[in-house]
Amino acid sequence: MQLKKEEREASPALWARVMIPAVCLILGFGITLQIRSVRHAQSASSGADLTRAEELQKQLSAQKSRNDELANEISGLQKKLAGSSAAGAQLTQAEMMAGLVDVRGPGLTVTMRDSTAPPQPGQSASAFVIHDSDILNVLNELRDAGAEALSINDERILATSEVRCAGNTLSTNNNRYSAPFVIRAVGDKDKLRAALLMKGGVADVLSQWGIVVDAVPGDNILVKAYAGIPDYKYAKAAEGGS
Amino acid sequence: MGRSYQRMPGATALLAAAGLAAGILLGIYCPVYISTQWTVYVAVGLLAALDSAVGGGRAALAGHFSASVFLSGFFLNTTLSMLLTWFGSLLRIDLYLAAVVVFGGRIFQNFAEIRRYVLNNPGKNSKIAV
Repeated sequence: MQLKKEEREASPALWARVMIPAVCLILGFGITLQIRSVRHAQSASSGADLTRAEELQKQLSAQKSRNDELANEISGLQKKLAGSSAAGAQLTQAEMMAGLVDVRGPGLTVTMRDSTAPPQPGQSASAFVIHDSDILNVLNELRDAGAEALSINDERILATSEVRCAGNTLSTNNNRYSAPFVIRAVGDKDKLRAALLMKGGVADVLSQWGIVVDAVPGDNILVKAYAGIPDYKYAKAAEGGS
Repeated sequence: MGRSYQRMPGATALLAAAGLAAGILLGIYCPVYISTQWTVYVAVGLLAALDSAVGGGRAALAGHFSASVFLSGFFLNTTLSMLLTWFGSLLRIDLYLAAVVVFGGRIFQNFAEIRRYVLNNPGKNSKIAV
């Protein structure tokens, strides 16, 4: 009985001497491995991001320089083509319609600015900034009044151009612009101005929200050419059609 | 009864430190990494294991160390906290926080008891421990 009692007393002590160091070993191993893994994951992910960004940057600049080359080639070829007169005249007209050449003429410079008025309680701040629909309304009004060429912040409006909110910027021809928006239109300047500023018209409605629509007529408005390269992937000229 | 265990603390602490050092060395030179998605499980499991280790140390000092309690606590608490984490990820709740709070609190509590024990028995420890 005496021995048994001693044994009972001794065994937990012995166990403790073995177990606690063993557990400490596992613990030390686990903690170290965990810390290393976390560090490794962090360094790996940030490193990967960096290299990826660099790679994309390289690709982007390569594509840009390639675009420039091709644009030069196009303008060279166009000059050659313009040499032949009849075809040249037709080409110039087509280019004007397509927005591939700068055009100049009488027209209107419209500047749209976000409202500076602070929104009152209960009013949405969203109503005080220019939206894509506001710009589309202005563009539509100008077209209705016979505008022949249009640009927003010198981005030519093409037949395929989108005007769309992209976050708090505006996306046109896939380029981003933020307010103020300067819309240039070539056409009958008085007609354009009257169409825009008529009572109950686009500018009038927008002014209720404090959005400024400034229309300044001019005799020598420059509407710049589309800076990109028109690219039709799906549409092909139909044969036999006219 | 308490006397026979007075011998324990110094030697066990030394052994524990040796085990810890060996574990750290193993961890440093282990060529594998834990996959990122598992690190939270391992972290919670480690917290449970740390709690068991500190609790075991305290029990050894107090002289009522029980191998079965210690072992079952070590493995079951670790497993349970990992399961809890997994279940939490299923429910989209950070359920592992429960394990963090419980084990974190207990580590402090056990540590406080160890501290008190060591502070209250300074002479005995320094004389007998080898």
